[in-house]
Amino acid sequence: MSSLDNSKLEGLAQEILSDLVEDACLGLCFDVHRAVKQGYFFLDDTDQESMRDFEIVDQPGLDVFGQVYNQWKNKECVCPNCSRSIAASRFAPHLEKCLGMGRNSSRIANRRIVTGNNTNNKSESDQEDNDDVNDNDWSYGAEKKAKKRKSDKNPNSPRRSKSFKHKSSMMGPRRRMDNQESPRMLMKDEAFPQ
Amino acid sequence: MRASVNQKLTELGERERLKELLRAKLTECGWKDQMKAHCKEVIKEKGLEHVTVEDLMVEITPKGRALVPDSVKKELLHRIRAFLAQHAT
Repeated sequence: MSSLDNSKLEGLAQEILSDLVEDACLGLCFDVHRAVKQGYFFLDDTDQESMRDFEIVDQPGLDVFGQVYNQWKNKECVCPNCSRSIAASRFAPHLEKCLGMGRNSSRIANRRIVTGNNTNNKSESDQEDNDDVNDNDWSYGAEKKAKKRKSDKNPNSPRRSKSFKHKSSMMGPRRRMDNQESPRMLMKDEAFPQ
Repeated sequence: MRASVNQKLTELGERERLKELLRAKLTECGWKDQMKAHCKEVIKEKGLEHVTVEDLMVEITPKGRALVPDSVKKELLHRIRAFLAQHAT
C-alpha cells in the first residue's frame, strides 16, 4: 500500500472518529435537555433531609417502600354469587367455579353430570345449564373410557405410552382401545426371556 | 470511496458497535460526569426554564471534543483502522 493511500485512510479514520465523538456529544445534549425539561436533572442535588424520607426500608414484614405486603393474606371476602365468606387467596378460583366461567369449570360440571348419571338418574345438571352436556364431541360411552384413562394417568408418568401405541387405534380425540396390545407390550414379554 | 466505506460501516453494524464502545469508554473515564457538571453550570446561567438544545450544543460540543482522553481516542482509532484495513481496499 502506498503512503498516499495510508494517509488517506488515516484521514478517513480521523473523520470517522470525529463523527462518533460528535454523536456522543449530541446524545448527551439531548439527554440533558430532556432531563431538564422533565424536571429530573437536578434530582441528585436534593437536601439530605428529603433524601432520608425516601430511603430504602429494610425491616421484616415491610417492602422497600415501607408498606405492609401480606396484610391481605388472612382477609376474607364475601362471594357475590353464593354469599359465602371465602379466604382472599382462594377467592379467585372459588369465583371461577361458582360463576361457572373459567377453564376448568365446564369440565368439572361435565364430570359431575356423568357421575351423577351413573349413581342416580337425577343428575346435578339440573342446577346448571344442560348446554355443556350437549356440547360433547364424543358419545357418552366413550366419555366413560376417557374418564377411566384420566384416573390411571397419575400413578405413572403421562408420557409412559408413546405415540405408536395410539397410532393405529386413534379414532376419537381421547379414545383408547383397551383390547389392543401395543407393540411395546409385546416386546416386553418376548424379547427378554434370558 | 468514503461514501462506500461509510455505508459499509453502517450496514455491517460496526458503526453502532463503535458508538456503544465510545459511550461506554467515555462514561468509564468520567468524561460524562465532567460534561454533566459543565451542563449544570450552563443551565444555572441560562435559567432552567429557558435553556434550549442549541444552547447546550454550543456549549457542550467544543468542550466535549477537547476533553476526550487520548487513550479513548487511541482505542477507537485502532478499531476503525482495523475495519478500514479489512473493508476499504
